[in-house]
Amino acid sequence: MPYILNTENDIREMLRVIGASALDDLYKHLPSKIRINGELNVPSGLSEQEVRQSIRLLAGKNKTLDSFNSFLGAGLYDHYIPSALAPLISRAEFLTAYTPYQAECSQGILQAIYEYQSYICLLTGMDVSNASLFDGASALSESVLMSLRITKRSKVIISSTINPEYKKTLYTYLSGFNFKIQEIDFSADGTTNIDSLRQVLDKNTACFALQSPSFFGIIEDAEKFSSLAKQKGALTIFVANPMSLSLLKEPAACGVDIVCGDGQVLGGSLSLGGPSFGFVATKNEFLRQMPGRIVGKTVDREGKPAYCLTLQAREQHIKREKATSNICSNQSLNAIQAAIYLSLMGKDGLEKCSLYSLNLSHYLYEKLKGVEKVKLNFSQNFFNEFIWQVEDAKSIIRKLYKEKIIAGLAIGSFFPAVKNGILTCCTEIKTKEQIDDFVNVLKNILK
Amino acid sequence: MIFEKSDKGRKSNYIKKPGIELKEPGKILPQNLLRSSLELPSLGELEVVRHYTNLSKRNFSLDTNFYPLGSCTMKYNPKVNEELSSLEGFLNIHPYQNEACLQGALELIYNLEALLCEITGMKRFSFQASSGAQGELTGMLMVRKYHKIMKNKKRKVIVPDSSHGTNPATSSMCGYETVVVESNKDGLIDLDKLNKVVDSETAAIMLTNPNTLGLFEENILDVAEIIHKNGGLLYYDGANFNPLLGITTPHLMGFDVIHLNLHKTFSTPHGCGGPGAGAVGVVDKLLDFLPSPVIDKKKDKFYFNYKVKHSIGKVRAFYGNFSVLVRAYVYLLMLGRQGLLRVAQNATLNANYIREKLKNDYSVASNKPSMHEVVFSCTKQKEKGASALDIAKRLIDYGMHPPTMYFPLIVKEALMVEPTETESRETLDYFIESMLKINKEIEGNTQILHDASHTTPVKRVDEVRAARNPDLRWHPNR
Repeated sequence: MPYILNTENDIREMLRVIGASALDDLYKHLPSKIRINGELNVPSGLSEQEVRQSIRLLAGKNKTLDSFNSFLGAGLYDHYIPSALAPLISRAEFLTAYTPYQAECSQGILQAIYEYQSYICLLTGMDVSNASLFDGASALSESVLMSLRITKRSKVIISSTINPEYKKTLYTYLSGFNFKIQEIDFSADGTTNIDSLRQVLDKNTACFALQSPSFFGIIEDAEKFSSLAKQKGALTIFVANPMSLSLLKEPAACGVDIVCGDGQVLGGSLSLGGPSFGFVATKNEFLRQMPGRIVGKTVDREGKPAYCLTLQAREQHIKREKATSNICSNQSLNAIQAAIYLSLMGKDGLEKCSLYSLNLSHYLYEKLKGVEKVKLNFSQNFFNEFIWQVEDAKSIIRKLYKEKIIAGLAIGSFFPAVKNGILTCCTEIKTKEQIDDFVNVLKNILK
Repeated sequence: MIFEKSDKGRKSNYIKKPGIELKEPGKILPQNLLRSSLELPSLGELEVVRHYTNLSKRNFSLDTNFYPLGSCTMKYNPKVNEELSSLEGFLNIHPYQNEACLQGALELIYNLEALLCEITGMKRFSFQASSGAQGELTGMLMVRKYHKIMKNKKRKVIVPDSSHGTNPATSSMCGYETVVVESNKDGLIDLDKLNKVVDSETAAIMLTNPNTLGLFEENILDVAEIIHKNGGLLYYDGANFNPLLGITTPHLMGFDVIHLNLHKTFSTPHGCGGPGAGAVGVVDKLLDFLPSPVIDKKKDKFYFNYKVKHSIGKVRAFYGNFSVLVRAYVYLLMLGRQGLLRVAQNATLNANYIREKLKNDYSVASNKPSMHEVVFSCTKQKEKGASALDIAKRLIDYGMHPPTMYFPLIVKEALMVEPTETESRETLDYFIESMLKINKEIEGNTQILHDASHTTPVKRVDEVRAARNPDLRWHPNR
């Protein structure tokens, strides 16, 4: 049998020790009514050779982004990943360990997570970070729940230009409670409408959540929003793209209270959207309301520096129904991967990624300006993606696809007001030639 | 610390120049949107490789040490899973590509769903949840919505006092009041006590079976009847499903909604605490409440079906931890039906073997037969001056990861041992022998236990100090 080391001989001997005569004796106390009658209707096991063959066949049925000239982003981004990352993060000592409950034999994991927390703080400018959550969507949801606990208020306001997948998740996470969620609209230039926020913000508002760059790619002037929210005692939650933070103003300097987001951009593959990881960072004063694991630095009994999981009195295994969250396992390996990625890229590498993405996406934007029938009516303050509009977005996308170009995401189903909007992204991996080719083919199609 | 190895003179060489004229950020964006400084280290690749390789060596892991961490099912993670989940065709696909580009991935998820349905008796599965706890949240929000649509007035969720902490925490996140029902002296659900707390306002009971004492809830059908009679539902926390593969199903036991931890029973690696996957399965009456989309098939084409009548929505972006699903699927293909049954039998055999060999020296928490794990209560040892913690730390010196400690909460000085089916008798014998030696050490001088572990890079870590003076990050100017 695959992966079982007990031989027939072992089994016989072990059964003898236990005082049983057959393996099924181990189950004789189970009511017979609930026993499976006969065998499961599952195929027989296969050899590794056969399994490998059939899985490779399935993988081959997917068409990867490499077979296209792709401009797809929208919350999940194709960045260059250094070759050194995979061998390090695949090390079995990381891959096959559990949550580092036993500090003495988990120092490497704990230090790596401590370094991860430090990196998140350096990027966001916040005081403290947890050890990761599942993804950006659940990180936003947990951040909102955190703000509700801190303020003890019951109204949540969010910008409508937050990633629609995150919004959907937030609604689900809050569906067990009687909290009210209100979305505020965007202005003609695609930025979040601050006047709308002013109108709905009140003394019962726990938080205002803003994404920047927004789902439309636009960099918001977060400071304006956070100071407005502060006037009513509401917290500001900032959904960030950590890659963009090597270039854009750090959220802490915008006066926000909680920063969250998705970490896939820090060395994660696309893999149909998972696994990535979520991050949450906040101010010292809110530390004890944070969900999830946190690693702290301390000393051992001889005074040597050491690390361990800490502030566990917030967590489900201690506090049970009074915990800050039900989260147990998080996405540790992905968080450690991000720390290794950031170490490899370094300041210089990360700044290059951002600078090149910024320049390439603006180069494409400028080129599209010269294309007839393309409308560009949103703000030009974008990082690596932007919205453009054409008459029939879906058919244009289809025609480009036939030419092996993935233009981006048609956002009409998420935002009916931008029915023919296409969200198009350039990261550092794009080339001038690919962009020129895209624009030339588009020109031909629109002729 | 990686940050201390930085030298500003070092540059990286990973990214190509884009081939267009580069403008400074200030020429493209307003200055007030840009940051003024960025504190990130500048390192060389060799330094980074050496740093993290050395960190990896300061840990116990499944591939290097026996890891009998109860409730966590630390079974061997086959290497073929890793190879196949890393195929380019799985790594480099974007969920917003059109479905024609994703047929292989969708087919894999569809096939995995069919296998899990057969193994559990459930009708359908959702794979969005990224962990067991998120699976619980998904399942219990479905329970909540079900009662809402059915116009059932429900207020509370019942959990046994032996339950995983995630169960009551999940119940709270769904806006329910948690009612704890005490276990009987054997560590099983007390039907009389259960009867007293169940009423028409009971939304559900959350159970794991075998429970956290490693015992099979023999009265499960009575429990199901009591709950169902009152219009409640049964939630199955599948963390301990391993010993029941091919033996029984959650459906036969009367459960309505379940989660399976693919990173436990289905061999995907734990990665220092994630990524995992919580596959959530339901019976007929909850089909309309699944997270959307589900994956369906029409004329040989697989597609995302968003038409789920009363869907609770989404619990995360996109469709879940896909590469974890690939690993679980590979594992199932390898094992097949005979393999699954052998997993269950050998997991149970190994736990009972340890129990039998240690029961005279360490008290077993219950007289009922064990399934996949055995919980010892180290009260005898405690009287002699060595706590469960001391014993756990001493095991590290013998080269083994400690069992789960002080859980379940209803067992004093608990050590919860889950060997899993993939360990050899030799390894079990070494564990047993070590536990017996440690017990002898207690008879002599307990100081050697209080001081354990002796062989690790650091000695006993001061966790109290960590919580009192939180130092949670490196600071550039300290």
